[in-house]
Formats: sequence, C-alpha cells, structure tokens
Amino acid sequence: MRGTELLSAALFFSVFLIAACGLIYELVAGALASYLLGDSIFQFSTVIGSYLFAMGIGSYLSRFIRRGLVARFVTIELMVGLVGGFSSTILFLAFSYTHAFRLLLYALVLIVGILVGLEIPLLMRILKDRFPFRDLVAHVLTFDYLGALGASLLFPILLVPRLGLVRSAILFGLLNAGVAFWSTFLFREHIGAPWRLRFSSLIVLAMLGVGMAGAGHITALAEENLFADEIILARSSRYQRIVLTRWKDDLRLYLNSHLQFSSRDEYRYHEALVHPGLAAVDGARRVLILGGGDGLAAREVLRYPNVESVTLVDLDPEMTRLFSEHPLLTKLNGDSLRSPRMRVINDDAFPWLDRSREVFDFAVLDFPDPTNFSLGKLYTTAFYRLLAKHIRRGGFVAVQSTSPLFARQSYWCIVETLKQAGFRTYPYHVYVPSFGEWGFVLAGSTSFEPPSRLPPDLRFLEMATIAPLFHFPADMQPVEAEPNRLNDQVLVRYYEREWGEITR
Amino acid sequence: MGRDHTVNRRAFFTTAFLGLTAKADRLITGRIVDDSHLLGHKLRERAKRLSPKRVERISLVIAGGGIAGLSAAWQLDKRGFRDFVLLEMEKQAGGNARWGENEITPFPWAAHYVPLPGKNSTLVRELFEEFGVLRDGVWEERHLCHSPQERLFLHGRWQEGLLPDVAATARDRQQYRRFEHRMAGFRASGEFRIPMETGARRALDLDRLSMAAWMKAEGFDSSYLNWYVDYACRDDYGARASETSAWAGIHYFAAREQEEHGPLTWPEGNGWIVRQLLRKLGRHVRTDSMVDRIGRRGNGFRVLAGDVEYHCDRVLFAAPTFLLPYVLENALAPVGAVEYSPWITANLTLDRPPVERGAPRAWDNVIFNSPSLGYVVATHQSLRTRQDRSVWTWYRPLCDGPPAAGRQMLLVRDWSYWKETILNDLTPAHPDIRSCVSRIDVMRLGHAMVRPRVGFLSARPAPAPRGLFLANSDLSGLSLFEEAQYRGVRAAEKALG
Repeated sequence: MRGTELLSAALFFSVFLIAACGLIYELVAGALASYLLGDSIFQFSTVIGSYLFAMGIGSYLSRFIRRGLVARFVTIELMVGLVGGFSSTILFLAFSYTHAFRLLLYALVLIVGILVGLEIPLLMRILKDRFPFRDLVAHVLTFDYLGALGASLLFPILLVPRLGLVRSAILFGLLNAGVAFWSTFLFREHIGAPWRLRFSSLIVLAMLGVGMAGAGHITALAEENLFADEIILARSSRYQRIVLTRWKDDLRLYLNSHLQFSSRDEYRYHEALVHPGLAAVDGARRVLILGGGDGLAAREVLRYPNVESVTLVDLDPEMTRLFSEHPLLTKLNGDSLRSPRMRVINDDAFPWLDRSREVFDFAVLDFPDPTNFSLGKLYTTAFYRLLAKHIRRGGFVAVQSTSPLFARQSYWCIVETLKQAGFRTYPYHVYVPSFGEWGFVLAGSTSFEPPSRLPPDLRFLEMATIAPLFHFPADMQPVEAEPNRLNDQVLVRYYEREWGEITR
Repeated sequence: MGRDHTVNRRAFFTTAFLGLTAKADRLITGRIVDDSHLLGHKLRERAKRLSPKRVERISLVIAGGGIAGLSAAWQLDKRGFRDFVLLEMEKQAGGNARWGENEITPFPWAAHYVPLPGKNSTLVRELFEEFGVLRDGVWEERHLCHSPQERLFLHGRWQEGLLPDVAATARDRQQYRRFEHRMAGFRASGEFRIPMETGARRALDLDRLSMAAWMKAEGFDSSYLNWYVDYACRDDYGARASETSAWAGIHYFAAREQEEHGPLTWPEGNGWIVRQLLRKLGRHVRTDSMVDRIGRRGNGFRVLAGDVEYHCDRVLFAAPTFLLPYVLENALAPVGAVEYSPWITANLTLDRPPVERGAPRAWDNVIFNSPSLGYVVATHQSLRTRQDRSVWTWYRPLCDGPPAAGRQMLLVRDWSYWKETILNDLTPAHPDIRSCVSRIDVMRLGHAMVRPRVGFLSARPAPAPRGLFLANSDLSGLSLFEEAQYRGVRAAEKALG
C-alpha cells in the first residue's frame, strides 16, 4: 500500500509539473511578444487564445493514439521540453535576424499547445486502470490547476527577474524532459524498449543543459543586435521609428535614431525653451505648442496657473499616445498630456495652422531639426508669416533652432528667416550636456523685456541666469545667412553642410 | 492601435506567403480619359448636323474655353462688357490648362507652370495681382515652386538641376558657359520678348534654320548641351531641336529674365489659374458646347453649338486656329501650313514613394535620354511635411516623325500599351515603381500645341472675316500661357473697338 501511495504521489506530481510547464511556455510567448512588439493586451489575448485552441486540437488528436500509450507520452514530453524550452531562444533570435517573428511566434504557440493538449488525455488513459475514474478526474485536474497556479506566481516573481525569459523557458524544458525520463522508470512495465527512450531523454536533457549554460550568450547576441542600452520600447509608427532606451536612470528617446532628449538633462532644454519667453508675457492664457509630442515643453507651460489652455499639435498619434500612457514617460512629463488644460491634436503643423483661425498669447516651436526639404518647410518665411497671424500683439514665439555652435550658419539663418517674416528676434542659447550648445530664438512683434519672475521649483533657470543666455561668445556670433524660403530652402543646405562636417 | 496592426498584419502575411506576394505585380487600374477627338473628328467630317432647338440673341460669342478664351472673357468683363457667352466643347473649361482631382490631390493634365513674369509681361502681372499671387511687387511664396525644383536622372542617380553635371567634361562646361553667354547677348538685344509681338524687330535669318543646325553652326557639339537644348524644344514646343526654328529655340532661353526662384506652380498646374478665372467668369461659360458652324447673318453671325443657335454681332475665335476652316461657312483656304504637336500625358497615382538614388525628389523630374519629359509631382506644393501618397504627371510629346504619324499612334495604341510604356520609362530611375503605382490615367492630346517650325515667323494666317477675331496662342507660333493670355486680351480689345 505504501508503495502504491508513493507511486500515486509521484504520478500526480508529474501532472503538477507538466501543467506548470505548459503554462510557462504560454506566458513566455505572451511576454516576449509584448516586450518586442508592444501592446500587451493584444499580444497576451491572441497568444492565450491560440494556445488554448491548440490544446483543444491536441486533446482531440489524442483519440487517434491507440497503442503504446506510455512510449508516446514520453516522446511527447521530450518534444514539449525541446520545442517549449527553446521557444524563447528561437523567438529572440528570430526578432533580431529575420522578419518572420510573428509567423514563428504563432507557429510555436500552436505546436507547443497541441503537444501540451495531448499530455493530460494520454496520462489519464494511462492511469485509468490504477484509480477509479471519479478519483482520477478529480486528482488529475486538481494538480493540473495547481500547477498552473504555481507557474503563474513563479513566473513574474522569481523567473523573469532572476532568470530572464530565455533561461526560464529552458528550465521548464528541462523539467519536461525530466518528467519524460522519470516516466520511463515509473511505467517501465508498459514500455517495450525503455533504454531507447531513456537515451533520447538524456540527449534532450543534455541539449537543454547546453542551452541553459549558453543562454547568456544567446540573449546578448540577440539584444546586441537590437539595442545599445536597454530598450524599454521600440515601435514603428506610421511616421517614424520611436525607440526609448534606459541606462541606469537615464531615459533617452530616439526618433529615427536622432536623439530627442535624455532624461538627465532635458529640463535644461525645456526650461530654456519655454520660460524666458512665456514668463515675459503678462497674463498669457492661450499657448500653442507645435511639435513637442513628448509633453515636456507642455509640462513647463503648465507651471503657469494663468495659462488656461494649451494646444499641442504633433503629427504622430503614436507619440502622443505613448507619452500619455507609458508610466515612465508620464512620470517624466508630469502627465502633462492628460491635463484638463491640454488639447492634443494630431495633424501636420503647417496645414493645421493654415486652416486655424485661433490666436495665441505664446507659441513654442519644437520641431525636429531641418534635415530635409519636408521638415525645412516648417522653418520658412511662409510658415513664420502664417504663424505671426496667430500670435496676438505683445505675444511671443520660442523656436528651437539647432546648435549655434555646430551649425552656426543654420542657426543664424533661422534668425534671419524670422526677421524677414516681420518678427523682432531675440536669439539665445543654453548648454545641454547630451546635445551640446543649443540655440533658441524668441520672436515677437514688440520689444522683449526679460521676465521679472519665474515659476517656482525650476531645476535650472533662475533670474540671474536668464540674461547670460542672450549673450553669444565670439565663436557663436552672427554670420551672414540668406532667409529660408519655400522656393529656396537654403537652410537645408546649410544644415547638411555644417552637420556633415562634424558627423560622418 | 488599428493602423499599427494593419501594418504588422500585412508584414506578417507577406512573410507567411513570401514568394507568392513579394514578386507578383500589383494590379494597376486606369483608363484613357479623353474622348474629344471623336467630337473633333465629327466636326472634320461634318457629321454632326443637329438642327437648333432654340435661338439665343447675344452680343458676342467666344469659341473655346482655354486660356485664350478665358483671358478674352477676363478682359471683356474688366471693361464692363457682360453680354457674351463662352462656348467650350469639353465638359470642363481650361484647354491645355485642364486639371483633374482625386482623393489625394488635384493634378494637371497638361500645362503646369508659369515662369515668373518679367517687367514686360504686364498683363500676366496684372492677373496675378488680382489673384493675390503678387503683392506690392513681392511674389507670394507658397505659389512659387518649392525646393527642390528640378532634378535629372543620369548615369544611375538623380542629380540636382537639369543641365547634366554628372561626368560633364571641362569641354562640356566650357560650352555651357559659352551658350549662356550667347543667350545673354540675345536677351540684351530686346528681340526676344514675351509676348513675342512686343519684341524688337525680328532677325528672320534665325528663323531660316533649325535650332539643331544653329547649334552646329555655332560649334556647340557637347552631347550634354545638345540633349539639354533638345529637351527644351520638346518641353516647350513638342518638337525636336532639328524640327524647331532656331528663333523659337533661342526664345526659350533668351525671352525670360534669369529666373532665380520661380516658376509659379500649383498642385493642379495652370488649372489653378483657370479655377480663379472661372470663379469670376463662370456664369458666362457653357461647357459641352461645341461650335459646329459659324455663318453670316446680316452684318453679324449665327453660331450653331449643339441645339442652340446664337445670333451675335461678333465672334472671338479662341479655339485652335486650324479648326476655323472646318466650322466657318464659305471658309477661305485652310490657314497656312501650321503644324500641331501630338502629346500623351498621364497621371499616376502612387500609394507610396518608390526607391531612388541621389538627389531628393523635386517638382520636375527629368530622365536623361528618355523620349518622355519625365514627371512633375502634384503634391510637391503641399504644405504637409509628410505625404506618402502622391500623383505624378508624366509627359511625352510624340515628336519622332511627322505629327500625323504621332496622331495615328494615339488612335491605335490602347491603354495597356501606354501603361507599359510609362512604367518602362520610369523603371530605371525607380526600380520598384510597379509596386507603388495603383492607377494610371492617360490623356491623348492630338493637337496639343502649335509647332514653331523653321520659317514660322513668316507664316501669316489668312485674314479673318470682318467681326470675327482670332485669339489662340497659335497665332504667336508659341504655345505659352503668356501668349494665350495676350492673344485673348488683344482680341477682346479689338472686338470692343
């Protein structure tokens, strides 16, 4: 009796293990898909759905297995161990080196699901003579669900943080293969040639063992190809490739591999972009931000209690969505995009402004640098003339204007263009470590009086540091430049030449 | 979220069925959009003889709603004369400045720009001042062709500008400079002006040889320069340099001031100008009204157009002048030996920009040594920073061989032939063009523009009967917007006395 009880315990422990393994592969696939593709709701629901569906196929197929149940069961365990164990390895490498990630993802989910779906029906049939049917069903399903619970708790708490996705999957592959190996002893009287199966089991165990040892290399290889720093997000929107990296506490945003900000010093850039101008406009109520979908300039604008509404026009809905939803990013921008004072519009700035009849007290132009003729349109006399019609008398515009040190003629070309468009200009600059010397231009229809006070709690700007911003040392002094016009975009040529001299 | 997934799903399926979808050509739809030659030929065969259902009494009739006819109307209206109609054979006025529109953008069918008018082109300046394009002597920036304006596909890559630069030798460049110097001399002579009638007395000896012959006589043997000059003749006159009067060839280069930052252009090409004119004059315009017959009625005329007979005192004939003998009762002999160039134009709808090498996409994109003139991009003047879908207008004058042969080709070749011709023409510059284009609409223009052949300056149209005034640009021998406008306005002034 005692031997029988032990055997029963061993059998149900196997059920517990294979259930845990089955759930782990499903979680690995869902997590990997969310991690690499984003949109976790979509990834998890499709992965779980296809996985459960595949298990149904497996259960159905089990009726076609008539003889040699134990040998088949062992073989299936080995296959699950091998395919499931290496699933995340395969997917990681596929994402880095092929375009077939999704195809492979669902193919693996289906294969593993079918195999796992075969396990329990087969096991129940193997055990049907040892237990009364009533007990058998109750116990098998109990341990099946217990296994699922164990796996789902273990996965986020221990496995992912300690082992990572690649190793976790391999570890459970080893468990599957272990169950197979063990089964050849448990049911040895039902197997014709146990040595053959034991030998296969050892080979699978060895392969997974090697995989476990080399897992570090595999992840490094895959990630190296993906990103330099740790990537917390990589997404291709219709307009650009958005990549967010983190290295220690430094968050960096790249759009089409151009650095947009580093969280370590972006406050310098955004405080300088907004406050010298906005603090100088008395009682500004309506503010316009063109570009700036990261919500960082908006964060600075919202510091002013007198500002009643902020209109932000950014082309890319993916960008504004990300910066209103991602916890790390909303923390950075102070959840500015979801402020009740914000109005976010996803449109192209030039045509939007052309249609709009609104007038603002202050505007921030935070466009990408004029690297091509399309972006260059946003730095033309035509654009600035149009903008002027939307700024009330006494209002100001702050324009991000590339670096007056690295692209000196480009910078002074933007100043000249604003002048040609009828603005009075007040150029200034600031040092941002991750960018270098960076330039801005304040433009308005009236003369500019530096602000007499600033909002509280700024990290960089203070009254005493404002005046020096407007002083240009010898190596950034004005140079001759033509204005940038739609029909003669000299700025793009200046910019190409100047940045081309520095970066090759 | 939705859009992101369609992209991913598409990528997924492409991967899944690689080999099935990747290589297969996509379906390209389209058609031949014109049918006016049928109308026109009915006229030639005098097949259409509808009896008028009603008679309308009006002071003046303008036949033809191209730039000449519309400019005549513009002038009449300005002078306070409103008792006139303009009869246009097509469904839409505009003539060579006709345009179309789809869900992406308006686009031109033929004429698509106006060079920045110099100080002498007072009428053009006046028109553009009226439209707000010219304000206090400054051209409104958004109507000027945006950067980059022109590029040329040469030796496997795109270069900026149309004068061949890639692999040009010192000799080529020396000839470029000498050619420019010669043209500057002609410019200074005051002989080459727009409108051409306003130029100083013309030296007919330049009209006695072809542009190609003049180039040879002047010692210009650079193949690059000769291609460029030939391109210019095909572009403006629909004729090769060897078929173009040297006077007209030189006029192309010497009549305009060195323009720096022109020309004026719009998504729908010169259709934009037609739109502005129609906004003001539309109530005078009757489309689908082909003039079948013009006959004497007392001191005036009766003009039969469809089922209406107009009884009028004066007729302004702004349709191509070669048509006049076919509609005028008791016509004199057909007007001189004036030739018209047949053209084919097409509008290509692109769902995504094709791959290419070299200089970025410009407004005017020319392919070296191609029988076509390349294409202009309708979305180029858009204020958007990002626009994946576009419409390209592709042009080709049928100038190899006599015009009649070209017109025969227009009649027998079907849409598939032109579709293949166009895609093959563009493939060297854009290898994946077939997977970017979803639609190609083709327009055949049998008599697109008058050809300034050798000796054209001496050709004079037969005198028109009293009370009938000729207005088409073909009177100048040069099919240019400025000439059409000038001829239309002049005819209106004469008609008003």
